[in-house]
Amino acid sequence: ADKVRWKLAMSWSSTLTPFATACNNLAKSVEEMSGGNFTIRVEGAEKHKAALGILDMTKGGQYEMGHSASYYWKGKDISSVFFTTVPFGMNVDEQNAWLYRGGGMELMQKAYEKFDVLSYPGGNTGVQMGGWFQKEIKSLDDLKGLKMRIPGLAGEVFAKLGVNVTNIPAGELYTSLDRGTIDALEWVGPGMDIKMGFHKIAPYYYTGWHEPATELQFLVNKKAFDKLPKEYQAILVTAMKAAAADMYTDNFADSADAWAQMKTEFPNIEVKEFPKPVLQAMKKAADELYDEYAASDPFFKEVLDSQRAYMKKARAWTNISEFNYIKTTQELAE
Amino acid sequence: MTGIIMFLAALILLAVGYPVAFTFGSVALFFGAIAAVVELLPDPTLIEVADEFFSMFSMMPFRIYSIMNNTILMAVPLFILMGIILQKSQLAERLLESMGILFGKVRGGLAISTVLVGTLLAASTGVVGASVVAMGVISLPVMLKYGYSKKLATGTICAAGTLGQIIPPSIVLIILGDVFQLPVGDLFKAALAPGLVLVGCYILYIVIIALVDKRVAPQIIVPEEEKKGSVGRALTAILPPLTLIVMVLGSIFAGIATPTESAAVGALGAMVLAAMYRKLTRKIVMDASLETVKITAMVFAILIGATAFSMVFVYTGADLLVEEFMTGLPGEKWGFLILSMAAIMLLGFFIDFIEISYIVVPILLPISQVIGIDPMWFAILIAMNLQTSFLTPPFGFSLFYLKGVCPPEVSTVDIYRGVVPFILIQVLVLASIVIMPHLYGL
Amino acid sequence: MLEKTEKTIGRIVNGMGTVLAVALLLMVLNVAYDVMMRYLFRASSVGMQEMEWHLFSVIILFGVGVALQHEAHVRVDFLYDRMLPKTKAYINIIGTFFFLLPLALLIFFGSFGFVHDAYVMNEISEDPGGLPYRFLIKGMIPLSFAFLIFAAFGYLLQNINNLRKGS
Ligand code: NA
Ligand code: NA
Repeated sequence: ADKVRWKLAMSWSSTLTPFATACNNLAKSVEEMSGGNFTIRVEGAEKHKAALGILDMTKGGQYEMGHSASYYWKGKDISSVFFTTVPFGMNVDEQNAWLYRGGGMELMQKAYEKFDVLSYPGGNTGVQMGGWFQKEIKSLDDLKGLKMRIPGLAGEVFAKLGVNVTNIPAGELYTSLDRGTIDALEWVGPGMDIKMGFHKIAPYYYTGWHEPATELQFLVNKKAFDKLPKEYQAILVTAMKAAAADMYTDNFADSADAWAQMKTEFPNIEVKEFPKPVLQAMKKAADELYDEYAASDPFFKEVLDSQRAYMKKARAWTNISEFNYIKTTQELAE
Repeated sequence: MTGIIMFLAALILLAVGYPVAFTFGSVALFFGAIAAVVELLPDPTLIEVADEFFSMFSMMPFRIYSIMNNTILMAVPLFILMGIILQKSQLAERLLESMGILFGKVRGGLAISTVLVGTLLAASTGVVGASVVAMGVISLPVMLKYGYSKKLATGTICAAGTLGQIIPPSIVLIILGDVFQLPVGDLFKAALAPGLVLVGCYILYIVIIALVDKRVAPQIIVPEEEKKGSVGRALTAILPPLTLIVMVLGSIFAGIATPTESAAVGALGAMVLAAMYRKLTRKIVMDASLETVKITAMVFAILIGATAFSMVFVYTGADLLVEEFMTGLPGEKWGFLILSMAAIMLLGFFIDFIEISYIVVPILLPISQVIGIDPMWFAILIAMNLQTSFLTPPFGFSLFYLKGVCPPEVSTVDIYRGVVPFILIQVLVLASIVIMPHLYGL
Repeated sequence: MLEKTEKTIGRIVNGMGTVLAVALLLMVLNVAYDVMMRYLFRASSVGMQEMEWHLFSVIILFGVGVALQHEAHVRVDFLYDRMLPKTKAYINIIGTFFFLLPLALLIFFGSFGFVHDAYVMNEISEDPGGLPYRFLIKGMIPLSFAFLIFAAFGYLLQNINNLRKGS
């Protein structure tokens, strides 16, 4: 059989679980399924030193594959955000159904065509938390002038509401939140937040709204993919799907563990929801933002319309199935 | 194997004396070409080799761009500018002289003051180039002027400048937090005691060596007629620049600035201070700024050369060799601890601490967990060890950086010899943390 | 002739040095301004924050050439110090040809694609209120290495002229 050796570059360090685990799982199953003939060497950001160069490097062929998040390429193509997650967007089930059954995958390939790469789902983190806050948000006024590290679209939504959105390098986030240089920040969820130690310095943990289903991505250099023998292509696609599914499970389990640990060790953490008027204003600002982008970018509009239409249908089902079940069992428990 | 040859080649070519940054880069180039040939064995064609080679080096813009937008590194020019302004306005000289005078009959006062000022700077930055160079411009001229031996002066500055790595905040600790999956804040707290003990040991060493060998650190002689009120005068000279350095720290603690931004507070504050002493002219500002640009570029040229070097070093599979060795370490507590510490220190002689952290630690961590070694303790041991790697000849970055701001009469060899006692002190403190972790609250 | 060219290159490199010195002072003010606005007025501009590292990049990239002309790059000097001026000049000429220039040329040509991608995609900052035209700052990489090559020619001439004066 043909010997194929590939390299994959990650946006994260090789110790970042469960993101890096997904790539190692991918490499392992590809190797096993191909009888050791098709191997993928996984390199973390500590090796290539270009965490945000993954798309460029996969495009340029320095790496045949990449593992990253589509919304990191927002500066190159605003539509890329839809293939990760968007504020007030779909949950994981809905988004997966959109991707695989609702035309999402086709739109994603269309978005990545100009980069000469293919993009595949790379594992989901589920709902991300709204972030750690030093003070309680009781009204819209509390958001005005709030110094917060919150990147991407969510940052744009918050900026519209008067939040003072600021950039702080990851290495200085802890000191900055601790000393009050910033009042709040968002990271991921318990599983990853616990390693940053934010729960020791900020009392309020807000629930999520801005990243309801963060899907990572596998990028594949198109030329390299086309050169693969048919059976290796099938192996790769299947292995990516399996790795993505496993990562979602890992991330869920890690977060459940971490949250249990946080709650026991730090019973004073207060989980908060943003008040309804605040959420309403956030939703309104997000919709305005989408419409602004859609007005100037036809492809953005195409994906937006596709997601909005699909979500309407899917949410109706979610409401009487998943949501209702959780509500019912919750009521029983009380 | 190729990795070891590459290291030796760099060593020999560096000795020829062409600038370090470009020598590193060209060794990378040469071995990159070899690696490309090896990659394509048994039948490499010229086109394929060229393709492989250019593909490898087309990574360089990405690496350079990562250095450009790593905003934590902005502390380097900012702190250097602060240092040069303090030096050119003679405020640094007066600060150190006055501190030296306050030490009275204790010899080595200037060196002790250097360690103390270095400790304060260390508490506001974790970037090695920033504090070493700042301390170099602030205190080297003063120590040389008062007849300190080049060895003691340069050793003290390198050691004091490198304190920033162990005294929080620090990039080493942040990276170890990531690899160990430990909260960065907890690591910061745990590193404080070992860092301060290190400071204490440096001072102790200076006091002793100054007593034993009276030539290395002469006393500052105050003329008899000026003696009256010299303590008072010394205090008034110390206060303003010291306030500035405390303000830099204060701006972080008060939540005004991030650690990196605090460096700008320092640079701007130094200019205000110099203006208050009527020492601030347009010429001084422009000269200081131009000098800072040159020194900063020197630091970053080394970083760019080193990034090319480590890129190829990893490419040749040297990291796999290291992995193999580490996996074979004994599974018994003391043997494991001693051998792993020795191995990391050896590696620190020639590869950068980020590479070490990510290559070595993931291998050692599971073994250490099986043996039952506390991860926080182990992390601090490694941090201490990596801090030493900045000091170890021939490739310790601190040494190159300090050399970049030395007057011509100080040679690389002076610096190499100067750091030896401080490296020994670090090894002793490291050993004490291995043997008596409870003393450090670990 | 050679000396005149050396002087001309030297003047241009020095001019760049002055530009960078001003850029550094602007960077200090830029950071201080951002700190003040955030602390006193709770008003950050991500664009202004990004301007900090844009200035920083220009300083570290173009500074390499300036430092070369001013002999500010570090050497391991235990042998070099004992050499005759003539030997030093030879080392510098050979080193520049075989160490510096290949590296600089490789990075110069190797970064075209990097900049071109950013230009074609019309890449902008990914953060709210960040700066547009990413190709400009990325373009500083080939530009600065072209400047380094230019400064290296000045440095070569400087050493060749030293040789001729010596003999
Ligand atoms: Na997030
Ligand atoms: Na520090």
